[in-house]
Amino acid sequence: MAEIDIHADGVEMVKSLCYFCHANCGVLAYVKDGDVIKIEGDPDYSNQGGLCCRGTSALLHVNHPARINHALKRVGEKGEGKWEKIPYDQAIQEVAEKLNKIKEESGAEAVASAGGTTRTDDWARRRFLNQFGTPNGFHNALLCWIPTFMAETCVAGWSPFETDLGAARCLILWGMNPGASTLPGMHGYTDLQMGGLKIIVVDPRYSETAQHADLWLPLRPGSDAALALAMLHTILYEGMANYDFIDKWCSGYEELLEHVAEYTPEWAAPITWLEPDQIRTAARMYAMNTPGCIQWGCTWDQIGRASTTGSHAIALLRAVTGNLEIPGGDGMPGPAMNYLTDEEMEANEALPEEQKAKQISRFKLTSWPGYTLISETAKRQWGKTLPTEWFCEAHGPSVFKSILTGDPYQVRALLVNATNPINSYGDSKMTLAAIKAVEFLVVVEYWMTPTALFADYIFPAAGALERPIIVTHYGATDSLMGGRRAIQPKFDRHDDYQFWKKLGLACGQDPKMWPWEDLEEAYSDIIKPLGLPIEGYNDFVDMVRMYYPPLHQKKFEAHGGFWTPSGKVEFNSTILRELGYPGMPTYIGTIENPIDTPELAEEYPFVLSTGGSFMPYHHSEWHNIPKVRYLLPEPYFSINPEAAEKMGIEHGDWCWIETRRGRIKMRADVEPVIDPRVIFAPRGWWFPERDGSADLDNPFGCLESNVNVLTSVDEEHCDPMGGSWANRGLLCKVYRCGELDEYRHEDTLFSIPGSASEPGIHDMHPSQRPLAREEIPFTAPEANVAAPPEGVEPPLEWDWKIGAYWQPATGYVYDESGWLVNSATRAYHDLWTGWRYDSAQNLLVDDATGDVYTMEREPVKFIHGIRIYPGVETAPYEVPDHLRWNVEAGYAMLPDRQFVYDPNSGWMIDPDTGNYHDAYYGYLYDASTQTLLDENTGNRYSMSYEPLVQSGTSEE
Amino acid sequence: MTRYCMVIDQRRCIGCHSCTAACRMWNELPTDIVYNAVLNEGVKGEWPNVHRNWLPTLCMHCEKPACVPCCPTGASQQDADGTVWIEYDKCMACLACVNACPYGMRDQSKLQPRLHRFVRKCTFCRDKRKDDPSAQPYCVATCHQKARIFGDLDDPNSEVSKLVGSVETFRLLEDLGTEPQIYYIPDLGGVRK
Repeated sequence: MAEIDIHADGVEMVKSLCYFCHANCGVLAYVKDGDVIKIEGDPDYSNQGGLCCRGTSALLHVNHPARINHALKRVGEKGEGKWEKIPYDQAIQEVAEKLNKIKEESGAEAVASAGGTTRTDDWARRRFLNQFGTPNGFHNALLCWIPTFMAETCVAGWSPFETDLGAARCLILWGMNPGASTLPGMHGYTDLQMGGLKIIVVDPRYSETAQHADLWLPLRPGSDAALALAMLHTILYEGMANYDFIDKWCSGYEELLEHVAEYTPEWAAPITWLEPDQIRTAARMYAMNTPGCIQWGCTWDQIGRASTTGSHAIALLRAVTGNLEIPGGDGMPGPAMNYLTDEEMEANEALPEEQKAKQISRFKLTSWPGYTLISETAKRQWGKTLPTEWFCEAHGPSVFKSILTGDPYQVRALLVNATNPINSYGDSKMTLAAIKAVEFLVVVEYWMTPTALFADYIFPAAGALERPIIVTHYGATDSLMGGRRAIQPKFDRHDDYQFWKKLGLACGQDPKMWPWEDLEEAYSDIIKPLGLPIEGYNDFVDMVRMYYPPLHQKKFEAHGGFWTPSGKVEFNSTILRELGYPGMPTYIGTIENPIDTPELAEEYPFVLSTGGSFMPYHHSEWHNIPKVRYLLPEPYFSINPEAAEKMGIEHGDWCWIETRRGRIKMRADVEPVIDPRVIFAPRGWWFPERDGSADLDNPFGCLESNVNVLTSVDEEHCDPMGGSWANRGLLCKVYRCGELDEYRHEDTLFSIPGSASEPGIHDMHPSQRPLAREEIPFTAPEANVAAPPEGVEPPLEWDWKIGAYWQPATGYVYDESGWLVNSATRAYHDLWTGWRYDSAQNLLVDDATGDVYTMEREPVKFIHGIRIYPGVETAPYEVPDHLRWNVEAGYAMLPDRQFVYDPNSGWMIDPDTGNYHDAYYGYLYDASTQTLLDENTGNRYSMSYEPLVQSGTSEE
Repeated sequence: MTRYCMVIDQRRCIGCHSCTAACRMWNELPTDIVYNAVLNEGVKGEWPNVHRNWLPTLCMHCEKPACVPCCPTGASQQDADGTVWIEYDKCMACLACVNACPYGMRDQSKLQPRLHRFVRKCTFCRDKRKDDPSAQPYCVATCHQKARIFGDLDDPNSEVSKLVGSVETFRLLEDLGTEPQIYYIPDLGGVRK
């Protein structure tokens, strides 16, 4: 059968990476004649040779007959499915002309772009968007890490996301199921658990991971914030905090103690459905088993308006137990100082300020206002900052709404790259309507998805094995992993860098801004600052592959503080307060719950949890590959046997799951893996085997079993800080499908704000609507320290967060000593010139030019590296008696010869030739023979002036 | 002597089905053939006190296979190292072995032309070991959790013989006397050591 000989002649092994989820396992690809003949897991990579069912099926993905291989131009009506194959470059040209026309008519902001996760290099997209002038790029980032990252950065200066499990004693897997989402991680957890690591799993479902927990907390979906606050209360009020750490490195302890007083385990019990003692046990297990880690889980960002509150509270859990940046704790890598970060590749300076202000997002923490504050602090403290891609984006659902309502302005063109928004964004019915309604839609894709069906142009994308890959965790870490391109892209497929580069050039962007021929070239520029003795990116992968910086832990001790505005871990965050949000986590309920909305709970008795990963799919992908699909061919939701019996549902029955927004069909999986009050439904379902154009109300069945039909993206239902919407903790009802109960046109109707019972757009101005929680008005405190002298260029500004004046242009802080201090390097700089003070020489150094100045800011002169003092009457150093001080020239010299005396070495230097001469007789030093030569007589002397007998050539 | 066997650690398996997919890729199986399905008996107990065991399967490569003596053409045979395999050229698809196997690990694909419907089953990746005797079956190499462990039971230093000798293990349908060579380490719940 599989007679593939990987040792045959002409077979090359290429170290590549898997690109089918975020774990990015190592892959060895065996390439012959430009085609991959076999792949296997890399045994020397973190996955130890393991590959999951997607990774192992990479060849099916590359060679799949349904892949889009050529640029397609729509020739029929939108959605009709009639296409014309055209050359790639022609398609780029036509798209560029249309985009430029829209920019001219409606401004650049009328062009928006939706992105997908880790199938692309997003700095290239931002590079394009910034130069084009639109701030409206977005991903599904708000459901995945970004609000958490920003809240954690407000607390401690970076996200502590790199767990050091080898030395840890306790691990909380909170809303994370590595058993289905990051298999290499799960392997490590299992090994360490067998060695004594305690694992606490917070998950409402008996998941693959919960199955192996030491302590499992099956909480009510969406109540994570209440659990975190109650654990925080327990740790603080039972005296289990790390008080040494708090005293030395944290601020705001008293305020926090008072703030969490009301969040007792008894308060949290009815919200979380846990016993108070379960909460206490978890808090004690985590706080008493230090060092410990809390692994971030996607759930934190998917519980709607309580999202950022929850992750903020969890960030404080880490801080009060002192688990930040220590061995065995949660490491804060900070931006990469040793290679180029994504941010440095994005060309953010190209986007004008007035365009930033037009970004469609009311959620300040994750858009330009919050990003600017966080980024300023990061630049000041670290020296570099976060990328704007992911961390500073438009609010996706608001962009889709603006297509339908024209509020705050009409978005006319949408560039969709490696994503299928109809299935992956909230409120799918509204998103489908927006995708249909947008004037100009361009899609870069592997497959004909429901979204691609309505495109005007489709561009074929190069996937895993067809492109080099670099893993820097969204540009937010200081380590780096790489994989090579195994084969050149097949057919007319292009990687996304080529797409954005070609589109940028066709739109008239400066070719100097797109200097790299291909991704390998760009990547070698990224890694160039590492200074490795390699040539090019492929060499890096072959020889190094993984780069980790030397200093990895306790960086705060070397830095002298954390990377927040105040330099402390801020229990009461100054950045959040300046943005008008509470500085400490304040409980807020999910949008639908039995306590706040009892009348809803009566009609919709079940709590719905969706959004989790499940094998063998990733997001909305892989449903079209039969050899993977057979593992789970149809959508199944989980329901407890007790609840199923009550509803008359049997295993395998097709059922409707209905919320206020709409209903979907799924089959029942009746098993006690979930609380009887909860329904768990998997995400991402569509049916690629159907004819998409046959039913444009529901193309490819993309609404029929799609849980995002059930979610709400009304702005007041979104998290007021980060903007994420809820996948978890919604209320729903479940009932069996009648035999003739098909998906109907009525089921596709939606409304803004969302309630499918009243279809239509009710509110023409969603942005005028109030947010779920009122912003706290905020005025920055006045300066209470002495102001710096006036006229300093570039000017200084008062910043209340750090209680000091600072120079926004450089990031330097004005010190009471009258100097500017660079927070990242702790170096002192001259207030007037910005020159760095060199304490060893007591001089000022202009780092830009390398010139050196005296403390009086006068240029220092050198001759061959020896400092001279022209015009100084007496020598500033001790001059040997036989030398003469030359006032005019400013150095000591021999009475008869103009050699420059070097007080450090005691030698003289000939200013014309740079040769060394001895300081007594002026003999020339001959380094090759280590002798002195009298140039007048030709006699040679030893280093102690003993005449040498002439030999060899001199005698002749 | 070499005596290949596999130990499957139920304490580590998480039911990700990677082994099933990897086997399919390596052996180029048609969609209706699975060599090594990962089964589970469902979740036992009452919420929230529940427990689930994953049961990864494959051909048991029995010491005394029922499927070999019943073969009329000699296609079904056993190597000296214990590997049970089928010589496809000799197989006439009479299905005698399919009926004889008490584990249901043999099948023929209905997706292939009638004349090519030979019986298939797991071969411990016999072809992979032809060049490299130390090679692991593909399902073992791909397992992230390292729940499948392959090796020589007769070698006292191999991981499998150490495990079989020290940890409590069980085999499927042991009382039939076929002496299956797949050993399972049960997950009894609770703290694992």
